[in-house]
Amino acid sequence: MGFFAQIAAILERYTPFFMEGVKNTLIIAALSVVLGLIFGTLMAVMRMCRIKPLKWIAVAYIEFIRGTPLMVQLMFIFYGLPMIGITFPDVSWIPNFSRFMAGIVAMSMNSCAYIAEVIRSGIQAVDSGQMEAARSIGFRYRESMTLVILPQAVKNILPALGNEFVTVIKESSIVSVIGIADLMFRTNDVIAVTYRSLPCLAIAACIYFVMTFIGGRFIALLEKRMRHERA
Amino acid sequence: MSGHSIIQVRNLSKSFGKNLVLNEISTDFEKNKVVSIIGPSGGGKSTFLRCLNLLEIPTSGQIIFDGTDLCAKDVDINKQRQRIGMVFQHFNLFNNMNVMRNLTVAPVRILGMEKEEAEAKAIKLLKRLGLEDKASSYPSQLSGGQKQRIAIVRSLMMEPDVMLFDEPTSALDPEMIGEVLDVMKMLASAGMTMIIVTHEMRFAREVSNRILFLDGGRIDEDRPADEFFDSPRSPRLISFLDKVL
Repeated sequence: MGFFAQIAAILERYTPFFMEGVKNTLIIAALSVVLGLIFGTLMAVMRMCRIKPLKWIAVAYIEFIRGTPLMVQLMFIFYGLPMIGITFPDVSWIPNFSRFMAGIVAMSMNSCAYIAEVIRSGIQAVDSGQMEAARSIGFRYRESMTLVILPQAVKNILPALGNEFVTVIKESSIVSVIGIADLMFRTNDVIAVTYRSLPCLAIAACIYFVMTFIGGRFIALLEKRMRHERA
Repeated sequence: MSGHSIIQVRNLSKSFGKNLVLNEISTDFEKNKVVSIIGPSGGGKSTFLRCLNLLEIPTSGQIIFDGTDLCAKDVDINKQRQRIGMVFQHFNLFNNMNVMRNLTVAPVRILGMEKEEAEAKAIKLLKRLGLEDKASSYPSQLSGGQKQRIAIVRSLMMEPDVMLFDEPTSALDPEMIGEVLDVMKMLASAGMTMIIVTHEMRFAREVSNRILFLDGGRIDEDRPADEFFDSPRSPRLISFLDKVL
């Protein structure tokens, strides 16, 4: 049987399997980015605030998370935390809830650090003259931020945030190691029953690519629309 | 000297780290007068100007604006800044707003002016400068000269008591300098109190009542415009004028 015939045969039989993986991957990626965005914003604010201890905490967190492997962070949360008595509860009507929670917590804690940096650099990329002009005309710091700085910063932040979403989709494949049934996990399942690793991995790669490609196009579109708005 | 001072500077010093940029400067600025500040780069001109509206916080000394010490703890600096217009070298129009919104956002948000009233006022000022067709343009679509003239109008919208100009023509192409200077001359003849940091010597002489030479963080010479150029006393000013004239 040729390579493409093998792929066709596998798809015919196991498409629902892959699709369940896709569903879980997307759920984890979306939740991680949303939570990462919420806490990342908070972290960016702390990172830029004038209260020194808050700033230090944020810097330490961001540097530590960005400087250690996601795999280690994931293991730490899934295997490490229960050992010191912190467990995620099981919810009877959602299978594997505690596993899922560990995965999402690890992914969003990780993404939070990257997003905080994206937001901070987006704000700091706005020309300092803009803040000076706003302050010199009599606006308070907060008004200057909301009226002048943030609307300009959003244009820097959104594209980078889109890239982060694409990154999270790819990186989320790592949660398969703690037994979450994402696309990678399901791919391994199919390999285990068919003994055909190459076609299965090719299918997985294609699906990941389609997801990130669509995500990337969508962001490019958003970017283009915003540029038109400005001019 | 006539009229009363709107800004009194007393023993103003400013240092950045170990670098003393302004050294115990004292001077007065009078109402309805134009004062230019010239001097070599790094002499503290811009820092001095930026201290006057507290964009830079003085290290020591006082800035008394219309009777209020701006450095006092209980002063709401935002309230005072509304009355001190500032025009920057790099224009600093709000890039996320069109011209009309640039002009009206502060009067509406800060002074509580009605939007229609603010827009009517903006149109009136734009017409006077021949820029009314730019009302819906964004800063990125304007030339440098247009941006700077709009920036001046943005300050005027707040009806400030004094206007600070920080090298307003230094970032402009030569052919656009004239149009900005013309607007400033118009303001000066209308009696606006102006403090101008500039490298345009001819303009400074023409428009100023008084000129300060700021060098090494001190006011080295402080004279009426004509005397300043015709009979400079300080040796450093003489050598400076030799170089630039």
